Order: sequence, then structure tokens, then C-alpha cells
Amino acid sequence: LEIASGEIALKVLAIIPCYNEGQSLKRVVENLKIKAAAIDFIVVNDGSQDDTHEVCADNNYPVINIPFNLGLASAVQTGMRYACDNGYAMALQFDGDGQHLPEYIPEMIDLMQETGADIVVGSRYMQKSSRSLRGLGGSLLRIAVKIATGKKLSDPTSGMRLFNRKMIEKFAYHMNYGPEPDTLVYLMNQGAKVFEMPVTMQERKAGKSYLSTLVAINYMLRMFVSIMIIQWFRVKENKI
Amino acid sequence: LNILLRLLLFVVSAGTLYFVVKKIRDSQAQIDSAIFWVLFMLAMVVSSIFPGAVIYVSALLGIDSPANFVFLCIIFLLLLKVFSMSLHISKLQYQIQQLAQIIALKESRAGSDCDE
Repeated sequence: LEIASGEIALKVLAIIPCYNEGQSLKRVVENLKIKAAAIDFIVVNDGSQDDTHEVCADNNYPVINIPFNLGLASAVQTGMRYACDNGYAMALQFDGDGQHLPEYIPEMIDLMQETGADIVVGSRYMQKSSRSLRGLGGSLLRIAVKIATGKKLSDPTSGMRLFNRKMIEKFAYHMNYGPEPDTLVYLMNQGAKVFEMPVTMQERKAGKSYLSTLVAINYMLRMFVSIMIIQWFRVKENKI
Repeated sequence: LNILLRLLLFVVSAGTLYFVVKKIRDSQAQIDSAIFWVLFMLAMVVSSIFPGAVIYVSALLGIDSPANFVFLCIIFLLLLKVFSMSLHISKLQYQIQQLAQIIALKESRAGSDCDE
């Protein structure tokens, strides 16, 4: 992979799921184009009610418009289908709100190629841990992951994840493959190689997640139950 | 809580739990919707094996028979679940209508000669 010369050996797609990210989307995409020029991207507009669609149309961004809001899992799956059908070798989940920094993408791709990882996760906490409510929820999930897989994952909720072709094919067409920690646990227990790479992330600049505390608690509990109880029941397919 | 009711509670909830788990294994249930049933059935299994907590709470609330308390809880939970499912179905119905309309409009556009 030669980023410097603008040549690229394999096709990589950044999937940018968006729900009402019109304010930040342009900045995010322009930044991505500069910092990770060698990779393709697609915006998945998950039924936004704001001007997300117009932003894409005005700037000629490739976009898939979902007619109504299906939720993050389904939006990412749409992007995975696109990646699968268009022969991409790697797909990256990349937030439309500016949280994720494209500077790290080439490094993540390198790490995947060097290690033969199935999934590379950009981790916020590989050096320092956080003491907020989110940090507490994160610790709970880290413990759950450790119990369920016997392995360590310092940032299971990080949304910045790079998937190889094998994973793309799984995520694109199967039920219960949401881009969430419980799916990571499920895949790890089947022998998928998940690597982490330290990254920094930015706080969201535009837009707001309202009721965020309640939503976050609900999310954490759901993930915890799914990892501790449900994943235990799921059929392990052939070793990856 | 008499022994027959406990046995019945255990058999039914364990059976349902098995059924829910099987559906997840066959990829016929989404995890999000299965979580409610798994937790509900686990709670029933636990209260049939260890009725102490149920007896304690029902005495606290002044309910004569712990069995009544169990029924009350189950009915309330199921009522809430039915209501939330009814909301969910309304949403799905609306979305299917929208989808059908979008597809129909797209097809009529593709069939007509005029450009947009």
C-alpha cells in the first residue's frame, strides 16, 4: 500500500453511516479525502431529516439513501453489502460526526496487512482510561468481553473498525451481525483475529445526541446481556 | 407458592427459554428482541427455584397469595410488551407502505418516457 504515490494495491471502502449529520458531514468527508486519499468512501444516509442528502448531492459524494431511519446496524450493513458487491478487500466503519480521525486509516490498513487480522479496532483507551459514566460502562463491557472470550479488548465500543473481505461477506448478508461489541465477541470465539490500534478521537462538534445518558445506559445493558447470556447460546460456525 | 405451581412455572419458562435460544441459533430472532424473552424466562425460572424473594415482596405489598403476585407481575409485563409490540407493528406497517410507494413511484418513473 503506497499512500504517498497515490497508488493503492487493494480496494478499501470507508462506510460513513449518517443520521442527521448534515452540519458536520462536509468537513468530515473533505478531511477524509485529504488524509486518506487512496481509499474510496460511501455515505449511507440513514433516513436523515436534515440536509444530509443535499450536502451529498451538492458535493457529488457517493451516497446511498435509505428511505427511513433503520438504525446504525442496518446502515452499516447496507454499506457492507455495497462493499461486498463491489469487490472491496477491506471496509472501514467511519463516523459522520467527526469523531474519527482519518489520519489513522493508513496505519490501520498497514496493521491489517502485516498481521493478517480479520478486524482492526481503533482504541481510545490503550494508554489511558476514562473516569466518566461512559468509562464505567466501558469497563463493564471490557470485563464481559474478557469473561466471554478470555481475551482483552481495551475499547469494545469504539466505532472505528476495519474489516477484511471475509468479515465483509459475513456482515453483509447475515442476521445478528450488528457492528457492535457482541458481534466482536461472537467472531472472536470463532477464532477471528481482532487487533487493536491506539487512536485518539474527537468529541462531536455539531449535532447532539439527546437523551444520551438513558440511551447509553440502555445500550450498555443490552450489550452486557447479549455478551454474557445470548452469545453463549449462539451456534459457532466453522472456525474462521 | 405451592409446589405444583412452582413446577409448572419452571417447566413452562424453561421450555420457552429453550425455544427462544433455538430461534436465536437458527438466526430467526434478532438479539434485541430476544433479550426481553431471555431475561423474562430466566426471572421465571429463578423465582420457581427460589421462591423466597417472591414471597417476601408479596408480603411486603400485602398481597395474600404469592401466586397472585406472580400472576400480577406476568400480566403487567406482558401488557407492556403487547403495547410496545403494537407500537412497533404500527411503525413497521407504515414503513412497508412507504417502501411499496417508493418502489411503485420508481417503477412508474422508469416506465415513462419523460425525463425528470
